[in-house]
Amino acid sequence: MPDPVRPMIEIRGVTKRFGAFTAVDDVSLVVRAGEFLTLLGPSGCGKTTLLRLLAGFETPDAGAILLDGEDVTHLPPYRRNVNQVFQSYALFPHLSVRDNVGFGLRMQGVPAAAAAARIRDALAMVSLAEQSGKLPHQLSGGQRQRVALARAVVCRPKVLLLDEPLSALDAKLRHGMQLELKHLQRKLGITFVFVTHDQAEALTMSDRIAVINRGKVEQVGPAAEIYHRPRTPFAADFIGQANLLSATIVGRNGTTARVRAAGGLELTVAAAGLPAGASTALLSVRPEKIHISKHRIEAENVFAARIEEEIFQGATDQLTLVTDQGTRLHALVANESAIQEAFHEGDRVHCGLHPDDLIIVQAE
Amino acid sequence: MSAIGIPSASAARDRRQPGWRAWALLAPMVLWLALFVIIPGLILIVYSFCERDEVGGVIFAFNADNYRRVFEPVYLRIFARSIGYAGLTTAICVVLGYPVACYIARAGEQLRNRLLLLVMVPFWTSFLIRTYAWMTILKQEGLLNGLLQAAGAGFGPLNLLYTPTAVVIGLVYAYLPFMILPVYGSAEKLDNSLIEAAHDLGAGPVRAFSAVIVPLTLPGIAAGTLLVFVPAIGMFAITDLMGGARVPMIGNVIQNQFLQARDWPFGAALGVVFMLMFALTYALLQRRHASPA
Amino acid sequence: MRSLKSIVLALAALGAAVLAPAAEVNLFGWSEYIPQEVLDGFTRETGIKVNFETYASNEELLSKLVAAGGSYDLIQPSEYAAELLIRRGLLAPLDRAKLTNLKNIGAEFRRLPHDPADRFTVPYMTGTVGIVVNTEKVAGPIRGYRDVFQTKFKDRLVVLNDNREIVTWALYSAGLPVNDINPAALAKVRPEIARWVRLVKVFDSDSPKTALLNGDVDIGIVWSGEAALLWNENRKFKYVLPAEGAHRFIDILAIPAGAAHQAGAHALINYILRPEVSKIVSDKFPYTNPNLAARQLLSPAQLANPASYPAAPGRLETFRDIGKAAADIDRLMTDLKSAQ
Repeated sequence: MPDPVRPMIEIRGVTKRFGAFTAVDDVSLVVRAGEFLTLLGPSGCGKTTLLRLLAGFETPDAGAILLDGEDVTHLPPYRRNVNQVFQSYALFPHLSVRDNVGFGLRMQGVPAAAAAARIRDALAMVSLAEQSGKLPHQLSGGQRQRVALARAVVCRPKVLLLDEPLSALDAKLRHGMQLELKHLQRKLGITFVFVTHDQAEALTMSDRIAVINRGKVEQVGPAAEIYHRPRTPFAADFIGQANLLSATIVGRNGTTARVRAAGGLELTVAAAGLPAGASTALLSVRPEKIHISKHRIEAENVFAARIEEEIFQGATDQLTLVTDQGTRLHALVANESAIQEAFHEGDRVHCGLHPDDLIIVQAE
Repeated sequence: MSAIGIPSASAARDRRQPGWRAWALLAPMVLWLALFVIIPGLILIVYSFCERDEVGGVIFAFNADNYRRVFEPVYLRIFARSIGYAGLTTAICVVLGYPVACYIARAGEQLRNRLLLLVMVPFWTSFLIRTYAWMTILKQEGLLNGLLQAAGAGFGPLNLLYTPTAVVIGLVYAYLPFMILPVYGSAEKLDNSLIEAAHDLGAGPVRAFSAVIVPLTLPGIAAGTLLVFVPAIGMFAITDLMGGARVPMIGNVIQNQFLQARDWPFGAALGVVFMLMFALTYALLQRRHASPA
Repeated sequence: MRSLKSIVLALAALGAAVLAPAAEVNLFGWSEYIPQEVLDGFTRETGIKVNFETYASNEELLSKLVAAGGSYDLIQPSEYAAELLIRRGLLAPLDRAKLTNLKNIGAEFRRLPHDPADRFTVPYMTGTVGIVVNTEKVAGPIRGYRDVFQTKFKDRLVVLNDNREIVTWALYSAGLPVNDINPAALAKVRPEIARWVRLVKVFDSDSPKTALLNGDVDIGIVWSGEAALLWNENRKFKYVLPAEGAHRFIDILAIPAGAAHQAGAHALINYILRPEVSKIVSDKFPYTNPNLAARQLLSPAQLANPASYPAAPGRLETFRDIGKAAADIDRLMTDLKSAQ
């Protein structure tokens, strides 16, 4: 379980430039001991560079990195007690599975007998005991991925760095590995820093997610917090689906405020997220938060809309709504088996929105 | 994996005999090989069993006398010495060429292209001119001794030209590019993340080099060794020009049979044995390379 | 083999006869021995085109001539190679009537053992093999081979990389006939050559003067032409004809049997025999010119060059063909050189 107090990694104001391009821009971030932290962002956002800075493959232009309280900013990778699982796995093609896994132990000078036992355990852990004599090219993609994992954890690092390790696997195998990795992390208690551009993967696995965009950390927090209370338009949009509505503030009333969204739909929002003096705001609404019914609804924000499009998605239906004022919204409803509550294109429906589900992600 | 065992119909079709189109494409190469490799090789083999005539022509008289002569101690000693020189040359080429090749492979694209160009620039000039250039550098009153004197070296002029050292310098100079280029080829293919993985797993620069970089560039080293070692055994111009022709190499002996002794059949027999040696070296390297897979 | 060879020869001759225009001569000569301006002058005067191909050793000439005899009209063998060609019937007799300038050749260069009746050959240039001494570095007199191969001169010697020459010097110093190479004679000189080989620093036939000029060695046994060039470069390089005896080589002009353009070849020989043409050769290559009329056109400095025109030649001999003994010599020298 993550230790809420002890920081395992402290990144303090780290900047890394490549020529004119700033890959990591004054990032400060704390990774707690034993937690599963995901660096999430689109490709080119700087998340991989941040990971390489932690591994020691790159040296920051500014700032410091502390590992378990020790300043490792300028330590080479082979002097840091962290290990990485590479996106390409980077298995040594000339060494057997056993020797790949034992490579780190050999470099550390672990006695042969002890090393053999640890290699055996690590291979058993990833269910590859039978394959120990094979060469990497004789293994399947999933098996190679496990060897890479075993090779890293057998060294008992303080932190395990994972650079999109599942991206080369097919969807079904990937999902299985996600859960397996999560369980493994719980069992070993090693701090994991996981890089991915796949928000679903991040939500499934992480204790906390750091959303990264253009070299900066936009928001750090537990998955649920990032999902339910995104703090920036990017966080709202990148994780899950969101309706982003730009609106003007038309009045305040203590804890609530009235806003008018583009198209003319007026809504009540919680005033807490709204700075004094702001006149415009960007609102995020998760599709499943919009309450839809064929009957009238008692709620703070109610409005009528027509279903423009319905897309069947199995467990859910995705609806495109157009309010009477002309605002277009995406909504998600559970697919009930009762036929009377089914929605169809062209239906007129009543909609309701709780003010707490209207998240202000930007205000000026 | 199991699917590999069962050849599909299309795979079987792919493995059919090449059609006339393929032969037409291959024809120039086949013709080339036949005219300049196979036929001369056969002539060499036939000649090696013949006798010489007075003028230096060849009389057909099938016997193995020439081969008996090849295995006389004189010539065996010369073979051994040639192999020794070629081996030393190859070793020095590995030591000098390997780091250069790795550096070029790791350099940025623009620098890499320039460095590769520099490696190949010597080929723009005739080999003999380059060898004479080395002679003017190494001679008693040459560039090197002049520089040493100008630098106030406390020892007299170095006696380099016409020594075994000069021969090795000449051989290394001539064959170094043939080591650099194949090693570069395999170093360039080396995935950088493998080196990073080695560092990540606790290997310092030296261990990463010996445990990962060297084993993975071994095919390049093997190819370079073949390209340096084999021709270095037969080289005669450098031993003549830079070594003063004092100690004959197998190449000189063969050359002499054709240009001085008028004994083509014996020269041919030496050549055939020489070719067999190449084939053997090649086969050994191939087998060693193939066995771990 | 023999029938194949004759077919090749016949085809080559046929090809030459059909394809070649009448006004040309195919010259096969030493590299660096015939000035291009001589050939240009001939073409200008006669309209006969000269196709010039070169070789680097008599053995190369012999093998190419045997393989494709019909394609050459004029060749330049040395005396012992010419002797072999004559014996094998590979040279065409010359038509003296067409060689009006033959009278210019000195008597001492005619009717030599390789062509006693002067039927097949005309001397082009001649020379000797002798000793060059850098008098600035070597004190004391050097008179013959024994003076050269002294222990104190170890690693200060350059000699021709020519096995027959080296064996000849040893035969001279042993007082043996140089043109009678037999196993007993070779066995006799073997220890002496073994000692010599260890003293030599450079074996070089192509440009032995280089090592002397560069200061890498101080004494050489070289072609007289090389010695003459060294003398022209610096008077410190003195040429000495060995007291024990020395090789006089004669480079010859001859016409192969079956040559397609014999008339043109005769015309070219006669042109080269002209004094003013032969002088051009001497200017460029300071060997001994056998053309006495040409010698009269040379400058006093040219005639004073002791390597080109030695004052007291002493005992000089031309080489005779030694047949298969060439292989015995090669074997002996290879053995001794590799034994070091």
